[in-house]
Amino acid sequence: MALTREAIVTALVDIVDPDQVVTDEAVLKESSIDRFRRFEELHGVYTQPLPAAVVYVRSTSDVVKVLQFANKHGINIVPRTGHTATEGGLETVVENSLVVDGSAMNKVIKIDPVNMQATCQCGTPLLVLEDQLRELGYTTGHSPQSKPLAQLGGLVATRSIGQFSTLYGGIEEMVVGLEAVFPNGQITRIKNVPRRAAGPDIRHIIIGNEGALCYITEITVKIFKFMPENNILLGYTLENMKTGFEILREVMVNGYRPSVARLYDEEDGAYHFSHFANNRCVLIFMAEGPKGIAEATAAAIEEIVTRFPECEKVDTRYIKTWFDHLNWDATDIAQERAEIVETKNIGNTTEISANWEIINQIYETCTERMRNEIPDMTIIGGHSSHSYINGTNLYFVHYYNVVDCKPEEEITKYHWPIKKIIVEETIKAGGSMCHHHGVGKHRTPWIKDEHGSSYYILETLKKAFDPQGIMNRGTIYPKS
Amino acid sequence: MNVLVSFKVVPDLDLLSGNDWTVDGNCQVETRFVKKMINPYDESALELALKLADQAGNAGFSIDLSALTIADSGSDLTLKSLRALGYRQAIRIAEEDDLRFAPEKVAALITAYARQRDDFNLIFMGRQSGVGDNAKTPLITAELLGWPCITQVTGVTMISQHTLQVSAISDQGLVTRTIKPPCLLAVGNAPFSYLRVPTLRAIKEQAEQPIDVITRSDLKNTLSSLPYNPGINLIKLEPISRKRNSVIIEGSNTAEKAEKLYQQYLKGWLTEL
Repeated sequence: MALTREAIVTALVDIVDPDQVVTDEAVLKESSIDRFRRFEELHGVYTQPLPAAVVYVRSTSDVVKVLQFANKHGINIVPRTGHTATEGGLETVVENSLVVDGSAMNKVIKIDPVNMQATCQCGTPLLVLEDQLRELGYTTGHSPQSKPLAQLGGLVATRSIGQFSTLYGGIEEMVVGLEAVFPNGQITRIKNVPRRAAGPDIRHIIIGNEGALCYITEITVKIFKFMPENNILLGYTLENMKTGFEILREVMVNGYRPSVARLYDEEDGAYHFSHFANNRCVLIFMAEGPKGIAEATAAAIEEIVTRFPECEKVDTRYIKTWFDHLNWDATDIAQERAEIVETKNIGNTTEISANWEIINQIYETCTERMRNEIPDMTIIGGHSSHSYINGTNLYFVHYYNVVDCKPEEEITKYHWPIKKIIVEETIKAGGSMCHHHGVGKHRTPWIKDEHGSSYYILETLKKAFDPQGIMNRGTIYPKS
Repeated sequence: MNVLVSFKVVPDLDLLSGNDWTVDGNCQVETRFVKKMINPYDESALELALKLADQAGNAGFSIDLSALTIADSGSDLTLKSLRALGYRQAIRIAEEDDLRFAPEKVAALITAYARQRDDFNLIFMGRQSGVGDNAKTPLITAELLGWPCITQVTGVTMISQHTLQVSAISDQGLVTRTIKPPCLLAVGNAPFSYLRVPTLRAIKEQAEQPIDVITRSDLKNTLSSLPYNPGINLIKLEPISRKRNSVIIEGSNTAEKAEKLYQQYLKGWLTEL
């Protein structure tokens, strides 16, 4: 028989210190959602079952005890660190869930410049680690827009990616080793070595698990020398996205690795670059690294772009000022919340990836369908911000005015139909429906289509590591 | 009722770091490289006028909205957006003169346009702008028009077809007055006044409509009777240093730092209060 809320809380305060267990209603409400439901939240509407408590774990031992307790009693666990998720991964869709918050596990354990790696606890803010590294002349190379707020555990759990990924890679290429706790209390530590061929790379069972398999408690990432003095920014405007994709492809397939390679369509460009875009697409590169490599990369990119006469070079100062203010901090989020409440205008994003030969088709089909099928749209745009030798990503940006519906209807009237268009068109064309935000709870209807026959592997992982199904139900794996 | 709102598109100076603050030989601060935005006070003025039009519409009256800026073609997209939001007329006065620190010129141009139209009952404008920060344009315009002016306006409510209730901040606090236009409202820190966002469909419908562009010579009949004061002659621009001393409170944990903050600083200040 399932424990009551009261019984869960009573047991928890015996397992950890009582002050680690929070049952304040306001905290429970904000802990029942993430940014996916912020329109509801801003109007004081909470539609998800409230968790029984938020548990602020302080150690791996705490995590073990809480997970073992939950596993024994079939209590749903929602792992959380920075609370910046965007796809519903932190929603508590099961009655009397426990939100296990690791933000108090925030120590940078070791910075190791000899082996070029840094180890920290799951709740370490990326910005804190990055600031410490930069004082020593190093960087993680990881710079997602959420850097001022996000913490390492969540970044790894969602397979996040940063603005310099085209050189440094996504988080999965940065993680060297990990510690994680599985629902039965098993602590697993994956050692920090450059590479090994001792069976499958088991890091990838943990990286991107979104709290649906285990709880990440410690992470070791690679570090790099920080040489911003060598950075070279390049910016161009151009007529259309198709040309932009061709240029990105040329740069990548010819072996160049700029840290930044971003292509904005006209509408997204107008939003970010109103000071110079002038109704054109915008293409941005940054070359970095040792001086010679940065200069050679920049020169090669310039040569490639010159072959496309529709491109017009812009003064790099236009780009630099924008780039310096790209990240979101708490002030930006507070302003965004005020604007949403007043204007009823809200923006969301959906990120996908695809090979070069289909990316433009996906872009055109999705933007056209959104334009034709979704009412009250105010921005339908997108940009590519992470490129690879075989393809790139697309970050669709969709803003709309919420008109004639209750706050709790915003998702079904606008957000979900938009996501459905993008996800379905992407999968149909052969791309991936999730590039770097994770599946969360709102893309699970398509998870089997996403993986096809390989869903067998994903499904078996869940059965093997979480047989009781207590880990973040409804995330990655459909709730039913 | 016919309402004119004057506004200005300005660089977002919050994006300009100290290192980027450069002044050229013509006393122009280099702001080309930062994003543009509607001057925040003007944005509030534009939204308050739209809210007033909403109220009028709900009460069965009609308010005709016009938006005016004095700028180059870089402001045309904003003008089109405003039309998509319900501003029936979007007018740009193309003026080549340097209008920084010249509120007399700006006021004369706005007044000349208002007189030429001769049908406005109400003018909204932001109380000041971050570029050429005079805070004088609304007052001078009101004086040239011979209209009353309410400053630091934070809200406007439609009472009847010809009567408005205007809230404004004064030294005594929030003051609410019932007025009969004509009147000029200089909008200050108005809450709930982020400008609404036009839909793509509405923008598309306006995209082909040209902006009304006029020049000083188009206004010569009404401008000729107005003083066209050149304003201040700029000789030199220097940034004002706003650096303040700071102390970093050291401590082994947050509680210790908080205790030091309280004991060494807050306790004394609170006692004084």
